[in-house]
Amino acid sequence: MNRWTVLLLTLAFISVVVSVSTGQTVSFTDAFSVLWYHITFGYAPVPDPIADRIVWQLRLPRALLALIAGGGLGVIGAAMQTLVRNPLADPYILGISSGATAGASLFYLGFLPPLISKVISMPVAAFAGGLGAILIVYGVAGIRGRISVTRLLLAGVAVASLMGALSAFITLSSPEPDKLRSVLFWLLGSLHLATWTTLIGPIIAVSIGLFGLLVMARPLDGMLTGDESAHSLGVPVESVKRIVIVLASLVTGAIVASSGAIGFVGLIVPHAVRSFTGVTHRRVLPASFIAGAVFLLWADLAARALLPDAQLPVGIVTALCGVPFFLILLHRNHQSFG
Amino acid sequence: MRQIWLLLVLTGCSSSLQGERTVTDDLGRTVRVPPKINRVAPLAPSITELLFAAGAGAKVAGVSTVDNFPPAVYSLPRYSAVPLDIEAIVALDVDLVLASEQVNTPGTAATFTAVGIPVYFVTVSALEDVTRVIRDLGELLQTSEAASHRAVELEDSLRQLSMLTADIPEPPDILFLIDYMTLYAFGQGSYIHSMIQIAGGHSITESLSARFPILTDEFVLTANPDVIAGSFGMDFEMSRLLVYHPTWDILPAVTSNQVHGLEADLYLRPGPRLIAGAWKLAAVLHPAIIMEP
Repeated sequence: MNRWTVLLLTLAFISVVVSVSTGQTVSFTDAFSVLWYHITFGYAPVPDPIADRIVWQLRLPRALLALIAGGGLGVIGAAMQTLVRNPLADPYILGISSGATAGASLFYLGFLPPLISKVISMPVAAFAGGLGAILIVYGVAGIRGRISVTRLLLAGVAVASLMGALSAFITLSSPEPDKLRSVLFWLLGSLHLATWTTLIGPIIAVSIGLFGLLVMARPLDGMLTGDESAHSLGVPVESVKRIVIVLASLVTGAIVASSGAIGFVGLIVPHAVRSFTGVTHRRVLPASFIAGAVFLLWADLAARALLPDAQLPVGIVTALCGVPFFLILLHRNHQSFG
Repeated sequence: MRQIWLLLVLTGCSSSLQGERTVTDDLGRTVRVPPKINRVAPLAPSITELLFAAGAGAKVAGVSTVDNFPPAVYSLPRYSAVPLDIEAIVALDVDLVLASEQVNTPGTAATFTAVGIPVYFVTVSALEDVTRVIRDLGELLQTSEAASHRAVELEDSLRQLSMLTADIPEPPDILFLIDYMTLYAFGQGSYIHSMIQIAGGHSITESLSARFPILTDEFVLTANPDVIAGSFGMDFEMSRLLVYHPTWDILPAVTSNQVHGLEADLYLRPGPRLIAGAWKLAAVLHPAIIMEP
């Protein structure tokens, strides 16, 4: 572990502690005694039951979901930027998130049959939606194996709008009692539905994504040099691309199913991380994971603090940070990448 | 459509020739109205109910698609209130539009004023406003006698209820929710708090700054209400609340089985039926002392 990783991990730990112990209620010491009680498996004094529920069942799952979702989006953002060899890519901009949203909301509102249980079916529907969207975008953008960045971004914008409109239409035409909030949830993302059980799907999917991509770290490094030279280095270029697309859809699907479409984490984080770690994936991927996790956790803290009476969707905060960043990147994009 | 617009311009002109009255509405706006108002359009179901209570039911030219009280509304023309179908209301050829400060925006007034229909805004932010508004509407629509009669009846009913609940030693802490999935509640300046107070309780959301705050599970756990009541409908069961908010199982309201679904219209439509709602709530909170009238 280099010192950046140690620094990021320390930051992640501090962030969780801050997140779990800040709020309108419950003092820092109460929060700490709840954590201590669970860390010692019940040997410490029993904490106040209300503080226990607030800290252990509401705040901690929410903080962990922020870590996993943010981390997952960071890793997938890094992989997508390698895939298209451009720093302007992330699952939100390229339409995977909106596709996943459309799939998940179709399932959520009962338009698709539940296959096994809701915990599994919804991420599966989101995965299918995300995969469908990125295949369209990728298919439109690539002509004879060459990806045009302009076409990629335009196709991403178009497909994201289409899928977003589809989700909003489905939700507003459903019998759901609180339609507008649901639309906000799906289109802007929120972590307020986090419980220990909703964490399972994202944990599995993000682990598969992170370790899958880490295994491919060397081929991914090769991809940065361009398809032809990667090929000459012995990288199975087409297979790597396919696997990245499937993993991106899987991870994004699981995250969207639990917390809606949160944008721009995957865009900012890998770019910021590369300036410290360089471009090798063995370093970029873990660092993107931790940095994405910390970023989303703080974005959620900001969302909770800014409008405590309105439950601000966290996607608003990430977009407020992410869009200016995106525009700067777009302006500077004549510089080479990799 | 063109004919209707033309008609409007013409009627607008004619009324200004006859010498208008000037009144001040609940938002403090100065509204110029014709000397005699024969046809009005209420923009919210609560206003329809207030109009009928003020004895002006015969002047209601149409009602919104969600109106359901009093039964006389079923024979009236309908228009969409959200989103507002302005054309349908203009086509009813009304003298005055009555808007609710809770539902409508000043932009609505500008649109109607532009086509020559005055708009009068009504605000109900406490239980006492109900009878005040009934009297105001009686005066505005020249049905003062009937309005005052009904207002006195309602005030008597309220006085009777407050006498019954006055001696309750420790009013329970009450969380009143509009919805139990997304935790919409009433914040500062809402009539619901005075309803809860007169029903013998204390509302835990009365000092929240947002008008319709969305509460967190955490807020509710800390406030630790003795009773949770909401406009969830009469067929509501407590188990449904716990599906969405499993951490609430230790709240006094849940452990002592004091979670009540109430008929939504009696609490969400700030009109004369709020008084019936207050009685209903009092009966639920203090069944030993209060029987519904």
